[in-house]
Amino acid sequence: MRPSRAVLALLATAALLVPRLGWAAPRLDPTGARTVKLVHGFWSLVSDVTGPGQDGQTPHPAPRAIPPAPSDRPPVRLDDLSNPSSVEAALRTALRPEDGGVRVTVPNGTARLGDYSIASNESVGGHLLVVQGTADVYGKLLGNLVTVDGDVVLHPGGVISGDVLTLGGEVRDEGGEIGGEVRTFRTATVLAAPVAARAEAPGALETVFRRIAGVAGVFLTLGALGFGLVMFGRPNLEVVSDTVSHSFGRAFATGLLGQLLLLPTFGMLVVGLILSVVGIVLLPFAVVVYALLVIVAALGGYLAVAHAMGETYTRRRLALGAMISPNSYRYVLVGLGALAAFWMAWSVFGWVPIAGNLIRGAAILVTWLLATAGFGAALLSRAGIRENFAGRLIPPEALTDEYLWATPQFGVSAAKRPGSRTPTRGL
Amino acid sequence: MRGLLLSALALTLAAPGAAAQTLRSFSTYRQWHGETSMEARLEFAAGALRLAAGRPNELYRMDVLYDGDRYAPLSDYDAARGAVTFGLRAEGDGGLRVVSRNQLRQTASVTFSPRNDLALAVALGAVDGDLELGGLRLTSLELEAGASRATVRFSQPNATRCRAATMSSGAAELTVLGLGNSRCDRIAFEGGVGRVTLDFGGAWTSNSAVSVKMALGQVTLRLPRQVGVRLTLDKFLASFEPEGMVRRGTSYLSPGYDQASRHLDIDVTTAVGGVSVEWEGPGSTGR
Repeated sequence: MRPSRAVLALLATAALLVPRLGWAAPRLDPTGARTVKLVHGFWSLVSDVTGPGQDGQTPHPAPRAIPPAPSDRPPVRLDDLSNPSSVEAALRTALRPEDGGVRVTVPNGTARLGDYSIASNESVGGHLLVVQGTADVYGKLLGNLVTVDGDVVLHPGGVISGDVLTLGGEVRDEGGEIGGEVRTFRTATVLAAPVAARAEAPGALETVFRRIAGVAGVFLTLGALGFGLVMFGRPNLEVVSDTVSHSFGRAFATGLLGQLLLLPTFGMLVVGLILSVVGIVLLPFAVVVYALLVIVAALGGYLAVAHAMGETYTRRRLALGAMISPNSYRYVLVGLGALAAFWMAWSVFGWVPIAGNLIRGAAILVTWLLATAGFGAALLSRAGIRENFAGRLIPPEALTDEYLWATPQFGVSAAKRPGSRTPTRGL
Repeated sequence: MRGLLLSALALTLAAPGAAAQTLRSFSTYRQWHGETSMEARLEFAAGALRLAAGRPNELYRMDVLYDGDRYAPLSDYDAARGAVTFGLRAEGDGGLRVVSRNQLRQTASVTFSPRNDLALAVALGAVDGDLELGGLRLTSLELEAGASRATVRFSQPNATRCRAATMSSGAAELTVLGLGNSRCDRIAFEGGVGRVTLDFGGAWTSNSAVSVKMALGQVTLRLPRQVGVRLTLDKFLASFEPEGMVRRGTSYLSPGYDQASRHLDIDVTTAVGGVSVEWEGPGSTGR
């Protein structure tokens, strides 16, 4: 028992770490950008604690010109900023760091990294791109201005003849003049996009664990419902279970028919209530009750199938001499375990090409078949109220004690169920 | 068993949360450089829209919070024509994110300078709109509302003469308040399905002709007592309550129509639905 507990603990730990493990590999960055980002994050944390830093943002890199990109990479045109989303997309591609760092070509303009300032006696011609820095304009810029992860500060007397676009920053107009249009995205993903894109794809291992968790959650819920049903409605559950065992074909056919008639019946119910005028008041209640009845029938039927499967298996083991306690809790648990096995197989092997889809198809088919049979059995036995249905092919007078004890059921001598209800057939 | 339960619990807790909708903030404006007139076209696909007069030193401004996965901001000023087109346009899959409550959080605030003449065209998709046009210098208005619920107000008199206000809606609920302040020579409304309320209150300074066409729905006319109103109705399967009006020929006239200094001529064409009249001011029955 000790080793299995250790394995389970290891499994839980692994599950907690899975998302991190799944992301760890793609995040490896040979250029060391991740390390730089880590250091930036640390210093921003320090500056947040010690007081407001420069513009309240992360420290900007040392100012320098961004060299032009190789000729095989497309330039970033800043002539037309009327579609800011497309400019953002172009910059996202262009600013992706490569071997020698960031390289961008701006036709009719320049690109700068870090803070940049145009002095009051200065006049800069052409467009200007400022990356990870604040653009302070005291003088004149004869063109468009674009900043990435940085603000634009237009000081009194400063002039920008063209448009302004900030991607991850803001424009602070302190009395200058902007000839064109100002566009501001307060947040931008220009520089963060590659990491975000990698983080989106979950790993195969993570997918497996998430599926297992999902299946386990569903069947644990079904188990809890099953235990509740056994505790508070065992006679009805046993009758539906017997109906499934003894009249599987009819139960399935009835379930299939019931599924087909669900919507027409609902429609007739609604129309009938509306036509009766008085029934209009009852319509909301009728709709809710109908939905609840369908859910209870389907869920109860499915649990009854699990009960029947568990009972069959347990009695076979008893016949082989196993010393186990035959009770409805065990039946439901064993049956649900068997039903969950299909889905667990899909959880583990679902990622395998072709086979994964086949397993999922099989699991869906089996679940539907059994749920249909359970639904049909619930209908045939009127939710377990009509307890003699499963045995109606045997005349009541034949249900003697001798018959019950002598007739083997699935290889097991039939035994009377505990409880006060009249046995229906064989048990 | 206990270990199994613990493992399942750990797995459940470790599962990352579902991806959230990405709302982005976008602002655009243009300084006022002595422009005397401007044509503006505002396109807003979905969300809540507020429009009003803004700072005098800004020709226009739009602050928007939008779904970055499905929409893209639009902002283009043509200096040669003095025309701007802006708003939110569906991108990629577009459409509405009906599964998300955040769909309703998409908001836009639009302002225009009260200094220059403005020819405004607004196209709304699935929008909850509040357009306060009072205080602007509106020379014309074109409003197209798809499946929207919009309120257009003229809380203050229009600072200039308006040639025409044309409004159309698909399946919408439209309320226009204070049309008397609009100073529009012609007012036209054309609707498919829905409910429209036209309030003609305000300071009437000239005569006006109004045309209302509604296929299926309810038309409510709130009329001022100080203006002479003539109502001509063309209906098919629609009810009409000529509250306090006198029939003359094929038209219904308000009391004292001939003596009134300002006249309001309303032509209503409707197929199915109803037309009701409410009177504003002392002795009103409608409000």
